[in-house]
Amino acid sequence: MDRVSPRLLLVEDDDHIRMSLRWALEDEGYQVAEAASGEDACRSVATAAPDLMLVDLMLGAMDGFQVIREVRRAHDLPIVVVSARADTHDIVAALEAGADDYVTKPFQVKEVTARLRALRRRAGGQGGSGGEGAAERPTELVLDPDPVAPLVLRPERGTVHRGQDQLPLTLTEFRLLCELAANAGRVLSRQALLERVWEHGFFGDERLVDVHVRRLRTKVERDPSAPTLVVTVRGLGYRLDPQ
Amino acid sequence: MTPSLGPRGLRARIVLAFAVGALLVSAVLVTTTFLLARNYLLGQRESAVTRQAFADANVLSSRLSTAGSQVGEELVDLVPSGGADVVVRSGGSWYSSRLDVGARDVPGSLQELVTAGSAGTARISTPTGPHLVVGVPVVAADLQFYEVAPLAELQASLRTLTAVLGAGALAATAAGAVFGAWASRRVVQPLEQVAGAATRIAGGELGIRLPPTEDPDLLAIVASFNSMVDALASRIERDARFVGDVSHELRSPLTSLVTSVEVLGSRRAELSDRGRQALELIEAELDRFRRMLDDLLELAKVDGTAPAGTVAPVSLSALVREVLAHRGCPPGLLHADADDATTVRGDKNRLERAVTNLLDNADRHAGGIVDVRVQRQDGSVLVLVDDAGPGVPPTERERVFERFARGPRAARRSMPGAGLGLAIVEETAAAHGGAAWVSDSPAGGARFSLVVPGAAG
Repeated sequence: MDRVSPRLLLVEDDDHIRMSLRWALEDEGYQVAEAASGEDACRSVATAAPDLMLVDLMLGAMDGFQVIREVRRAHDLPIVVVSARADTHDIVAALEAGADDYVTKPFQVKEVTARLRALRRRAGGQGGSGGEGAAERPTELVLDPDPVAPLVLRPERGTVHRGQDQLPLTLTEFRLLCELAANAGRVLSRQALLERVWEHGFFGDERLVDVHVRRLRTKVERDPSAPTLVVTVRGLGYRLDPQ
Repeated sequence: MTPSLGPRGLRARIVLAFAVGALLVSAVLVTTTFLLARNYLLGQRESAVTRQAFADANVLSSRLSTAGSQVGEELVDLVPSGGADVVVRSGGSWYSSRLDVGARDVPGSLQELVTAGSAGTARISTPTGPHLVVGVPVVAADLQFYEVAPLAELQASLRTLTAVLGAGALAATAAGAVFGAWASRRVVQPLEQVAGAATRIAGGELGIRLPPTEDPDLLAIVASFNSMVDALASRIERDARFVGDVSHELRSPLTSLVTSVEVLGSRRAELSDRGRQALELIEAELDRFRRMLDDLLELAKVDGTAPAGTVAPVSLSALVREVLAHRGCPPGLLHADADDATTVRGDKNRLERAVTNLLDNADRHAGGIVDVRVQRQDGSVLVLVDDAGPGVPPTERERVFERFARGPRAARRSMPGAGLGLAIVEETAAAHGGAAWVSDSPAGGARFSLVVPGAAG
């Protein structure tokens, strides 16, 4: 798929899991850097400059949530969380901290690589290299023509500006906004968004959509507690209403 | 109320006790009242008649003292009040104020008493009713004066009093029974509350507690009942958490196992034949192990410690289709009603698990899936899985849904559902307000059915 093998930072404190995962991921063509603790992980993000991160939530002194928050201060790379259980609040907390997706233990490596590939694909889909359907994409979408601080989405360049400031959207949030903007005025179901943004199938977790919409709102809405741009349509999904 | 021969209920006993109590108390009161009233009225009458007799005797005596008066003539003039008659014995002869009274109406004992010189009374009964006879000796005229007064009026009063008192006693008894019924309801009400709460708790609502009470008599019951439920709930929760924690702890080693075996699997070609066979065995067992762990976690969830999953509209047709596609089954296997018609409200992941377990059961224990149907029927959505196995004998049909269905080890190994899979199907169905059962399939194997109430509309 990729000419250069993607660099992946694997954050896991269980030696055996880390070792076996490294083998399996290398078999799949990733360049793997390891971190056995949260502190280690934060250092490695700077030195190894990974394209992707796989983070276990249960770490030592500095847990996975802190690692994600720390990394999110300066990086928009895709982060996939590894959790022991899918039904706990941990998942939502990790997503709120800034994770893009999750897998539960015990997982099969092909599940993980499928998630990573989906995240990579959309990361490559914008940023100038020309993704699917790039020709039809408008170069600039004004989502909120506020005279003082208009909200402008530039899908081609992968940026969103509020006035002069570029908003710090993660890749997933950006893709979600593009998907909603491309269907402005129409309701998109959670299921549809899961398929288009995360490439999840029927059994995907709709909490992914909800948490990411929440995160997106805090960045693009004038008043995130009373959203007017990305609105919830009860029982159906979400809709982007250009202001 | 018909008296029952069997053991009487608490309420019936209370009502009976109150009624009998009221009856006894009112009977004693009525009897005492009656006796006191009768004695008082009789005494009143007696003294009135006696006073009258003395007065009449005086009148007679004074008239006779005037010269030439005859007893018989004077008697005719003497008209005592109250319908009384007068009988006089003078000089061995009897005189009376009316013809139908006479010496025969004066009892001998009274005659002796009066003849001896003292006054006295006696009661007699005549064909015209009871009468009171008062005898007064008139020493001056040497005669005995008797006044015979009727008691019929008094008797009528006493009869009325008896009727009133009797009615009062009956009313008191009835009131006692009514009060008993009311009191017994008050007494039984807390018991019924306890019974209702216990039923709901047995049904799985472990959050149910009895409302706090200020009644000091009920405080102890309510407190001990609630603490019993607390203990029960925490015990159940502890058990479920233990299962959850154990399966959780097993996940880390399982993860490195699964991953390492995957690494081995991609180097299959480098292995010898025996090595490959061993690898396949490990892969199969790991898969089983993983499934069992998922089942255990699912059960811990069903037992209610984990937060309830998200409940949303789910189309069972779509769900079953996805599950079948996931397993690589041919799409022709499924006969499903339209997606919209088969929508239920539920937890997608748990329903998926239940459907997967049904299909696993057919695949692993019963020779494979023959037919899968999803139908809307009478407001419910039915998922039917027919298999190619020998069917399940009627005696085993409930047992296959039990956790680690009991039975001889050998039977357990060959029996469908030996494990947790079908128990999860059953418990998931129940959690969604539905049911699961097994019957014969028209094709000869077993037909496992899962039914969930359909979403409205």
